[in-house]
Amino acid sequence: MTALKRLLADRAASIGAALILGLILVAIFAPVLAPYPGDVTAFHLTERLQPPSADHLFGTDRMGSDVFSRILFGARITITIAVIAVGVSVGIGVPIGLIAGYYGGFPGGFLMRTSDIFLAVPQIVLAIAIAQTLGPSVENVILALSLTYWPFWARLVYAETRSLKAQTFVEAALALGASDLRVMVLHILPNTASAIIVRTSIGMGATILTAAALGFLGLGAPPPTPEWGRTISEAREFLPEAWWYAAAPGLAIFLVVMGFNLLGDGLRDILDPKLRKGSR
Amino acid sequence: MKHTVLALCSALALMTPTLGAAKDRYVHANNSAYDTLDPHTVRDVARVASRLNFYDGLYRWVDNPPQLIPWLATEHSVSEDGLTWTFTLRDDVTFHDGTKMTAEDVVYSFERMLELKRGAGSLFLPMIDPGQTVAVDDTTVAFTLKEPSAIFAALVPDILVVNSTLVKENEVDGDMGQAYMIDHVAGSGSYMLQRYDPARGFIGERFADHFAGWGEKYFDEIEFRTVLETNTRIQGLMRGDYQGLDGYLAPDQVERLRADEDVQIIEEESMRVFHIAMHNGRAPLDDKNFRMAMVHAFDYDGYINEIMQGTVARNPTIMPGNLWGAPDVPGYDYDLAKAKEYLDAYKAEHGDEVRTIKIGTLAGFSETEQAAALMQNGLSQLGITVEIESSPWPVISSAMQNPDTMPDMVPYWKSTYYVDPNNWVGELYASRYAPTRNVSSYHNDAVDEKLEKALVITDQDARAELYSDATTQIYEDAAGIWIYNTKWFGPYASSVKNVRFCPVGNGQDMRWAYLEE
Amino acid sequence: MRRLEIILSRLVWFIPTLFGLVFVVFFISNVIPTDPARIIAGENATEAQVQALRAEMGLDQPLYVQFGRYVADLATGDLGKSLYTQRAISEDLLHRLPATLELTMAAMVVAIGLGVPLGVISAVKRNSMIDQTLRVLSVSGLAVASFWLAMELQMYFSTKLGWTPLNGRIAGWGPEEITGFYLLDSLLTGDWASFWDTLHHMLLPAITLALPAAATLVRFTRAGVLEVINSNFVLYERAMGFPTTLITWKYVLRNALISTVTQIGLIFGSLFAGAVVVEAVFDWPGLGTYAVQSILQSDTKAILGFSIIVGVVFIGVNLLVDIIHTFIDPRTLK
Repeated sequence: MTALKRLLADRAASIGAALILGLILVAIFAPVLAPYPGDVTAFHLTERLQPPSADHLFGTDRMGSDVFSRILFGARITITIAVIAVGVSVGIGVPIGLIAGYYGGFPGGFLMRTSDIFLAVPQIVLAIAIAQTLGPSVENVILALSLTYWPFWARLVYAETRSLKAQTFVEAALALGASDLRVMVLHILPNTASAIIVRTSIGMGATILTAAALGFLGLGAPPPTPEWGRTISEAREFLPEAWWYAAAPGLAIFLVVMGFNLLGDGLRDILDPKLRKGSR
Repeated sequence: MKHTVLALCSALALMTPTLGAAKDRYVHANNSAYDTLDPHTVRDVARVASRLNFYDGLYRWVDNPPQLIPWLATEHSVSEDGLTWTFTLRDDVTFHDGTKMTAEDVVYSFERMLELKRGAGSLFLPMIDPGQTVAVDDTTVAFTLKEPSAIFAALVPDILVVNSTLVKENEVDGDMGQAYMIDHVAGSGSYMLQRYDPARGFIGERFADHFAGWGEKYFDEIEFRTVLETNTRIQGLMRGDYQGLDGYLAPDQVERLRADEDVQIIEEESMRVFHIAMHNGRAPLDDKNFRMAMVHAFDYDGYINEIMQGTVARNPTIMPGNLWGAPDVPGYDYDLAKAKEYLDAYKAEHGDEVRTIKIGTLAGFSETEQAAALMQNGLSQLGITVEIESSPWPVISSAMQNPDTMPDMVPYWKSTYYVDPNNWVGELYASRYAPTRNVSSYHNDAVDEKLEKALVITDQDARAELYSDATTQIYEDAAGIWIYNTKWFGPYASSVKNVRFCPVGNGQDMRWAYLEE
Repeated sequence: MRRLEIILSRLVWFIPTLFGLVFVVFFISNVIPTDPARIIAGENATEAQVQALRAEMGLDQPLYVQFGRYVADLATGDLGKSLYTQRAISEDLLHRLPATLELTMAAMVVAIGLGVPLGVISAVKRNSMIDQTLRVLSVSGLAVASFWLAMELQMYFSTKLGWTPLNGRIAGWGPEEITGFYLLDSLLTGDWASFWDTLHHMLLPAITLALPAAATLVRFTRAGVLEVINSNFVLYERAMGFPTTLITWKYVLRNALISTVTQIGLIFGSLFAGAVVVEAVFDWPGLGTYAVQSILQSDTKAILGFSIIVGVVFIGVNLLVDIIHTFIDPRTLK
């Protein structure tokens, strides 16, 4: 509970948490909140490219659909991509880092070298290569992001595990006859948790940005999916006249990524006293 | 800070025009890259400018409606059996390096096209074998076909002649100069290559000694530059960075450009039919009732009047309405009640289950995406679910060429490659072109018989009737959803005059245009 | 000699990492069988023509044979030919590399020029209004989608105000090419018009690209400087009565720079990656635009080559940073 209290005491972190909470609520209640929930697939061709008004908060798009409603539904896609992609990356990266760090030697070296290969190229470049081959769809974006993001966690957990393994409490547990698996899961993993949590929060933000970039490049979900990155690229033809069309999804991305970054910073301050001393 | 930036900008603005003040220049912003200059390996509209301005063909397409005029060749005759085509060449044609053009150059060029198998070469391969082209004398060349062909003449402008001496000098390991021709020009065309950068485009300098001569006014220099982003091209034209753009613009863009007084929009009838190809060979689309339901489920008026803002004309069949041989039939209308009737008839026969229909769209071509979304919208009201999958053109085009991977529907354009009904109705619905160009798996013996016959006879009236009948039959079979025939909106700076538009070259044949303030 | 050892051990890993990269990207790009032969042959080709072309291109061979050939070609610097143009991919990439590097470096200069001083100010005046504002700005800088920012800046400064060029690297055809870096080439040839025009064109893309990197630098510099300020020797000097400004700039900055250099490898990577989308918006004729074009044309081999060259540059830069690091921070040698 104290961690939560301290989180709420930090203004930046609580703003971050509020933004993320907002995103989740919007994603869940999109059909209720959206003024025109049908506008994800329905068109009103006579009302194309209307500027923002009381009827259409963020104006209308090239098919005459309500931009605001589509942004709300877009939150669902964004959150799905981020949660699954980061979840899978954590699911692959953490065990690999743990095993490699714990056993070291050849298998550890091999696993880490493999992750180095992925880290040798900026993530988006590999993600582009994968998403391009598999064809544009939400599933493939998730796959591309997961396949390229796990090494970050593997690296992180590997380093933590290496330093933890040398500590006395691990040696003590081993001396008492605990199995390797038990030591890894019950003694080492909990001690890496704070680093993982901080990294995950920031990673969510980064993943949302990369996913949006893939959408922008035409590698994301096909139309008429209201994915934010895609909407921005759709809007481009209509600039500068239809400024609202691109501004709205851009701001949505900004707010959400900002939320995850602020929360990540706050969590780091709270969970990682080492860094806290340095940054305050 | 603001002042420095402004001062800097105006200083730069003053500097730029001095670079080309003495010469009349035309700068064209193109929507795709000029990544090769070889006239024989590509044959697409996107890269037509380098072929039209650097090279000459035996004949040339000009004006609208398109006319075939003599060019490198002055005339031709066809043998009694329809197999041997003999062309008489001009004797006053020189290539850019001063070499005289002879029949040998034509033979080399044609054999090169057949050998490379790409671009227009693949179009000629089914008609004529390598080695069947001979130089009778310096100014006479003869082609011997495998079977009589009514469309060979329409393809003659695609025989672009290269300077065989120059190309042969630059052959490496028998590559027929492929490595060389990518970034060099060995032609006789109206402009000579001055600079080329695949990442940027090319500059051509007027070839004063061109055999066709020049008018009183002309552009001394033409530059074709790659600018991938539509919006940037438009803004650039309005700012005066460019003098012309490619002409197939979305209506919203046309409206914006019309509002600018420094820009003129040249409007021309064109021949580029937008349609939704349907897979006639796969259930449930193999059933005529089902297809009838489909053709009545598309909101033609909404698409044409709202999305295209009335800038295009409804086209009831696959044949462009402004071409000979197009039948006079009313287009199918958007009528969900009628669609429902046909669907019920289908269901009575095949049961109530209708699977999800898959529509493939061309990534980056928003008109295809919007058409698919509109179709999805219509079908959802009939209780049919639609899945849209967007892929880049190369991917979808290779998927379309295999009946197993062809999506149920694909909205796309059929452009003008040569002006003959066969370009549209023949290639898209005759069995002989399945599955590569007849992607619909449409097979109808009566139609095939007419289309085949029209390929070998030469009397145009008889051919027109055959095409009209075949097209009507295909229309009655509801083999596809035919939507509109494009208009061409050529955006140019107001100072550019005498752009001679032809649907084949899209108005990018620059030898006639000039600048007048 | 420890330095040499470090450098050698890094070099030893260069080849296997690169090989691994090629392996991974090659197999990824062959997961889905698009048919390059059919694409090249064009839609007019018959099945037999396509078959012949397939054999000619070696596409009828099993994947591992194709991989072997690819690696063998790669060893000679041959990345194969583009599906579309039959142009050598390595040539295309090398031709465009200077454009991207020039942009990346310009962005790096902007990022360092903005990030480091602001980070120092933020640390020195910690918890002041300036510090708070800078913190908000730096968090924001990291949250903006760069392609969106690029579009918005282009719309405002180029389209509406007309202050900056819309797109491209230079208005004409650039200075006489020596290195392919326009700024350098125009200086070498004394072509001032090209020099200014290049800078003018570079302004918006470089700033867009630099912002997230600058934000990162503000944060790191701030943390680094704070650590130094709180350390014993600074407290000691302050106690000895040295003026605060002198201490800040002389000691603090030098130490902060060390941590900045460490970041440069990372920042270079993020800039290089960011360039892919930013280039696409500004039609910058570099690797990013090439990659986007290749995506649109499904030119798998070109994308493969692009990933590899980015990998090589990226690994190379990190190697270089490691080496520089051994010079400016002797602690690494221990």
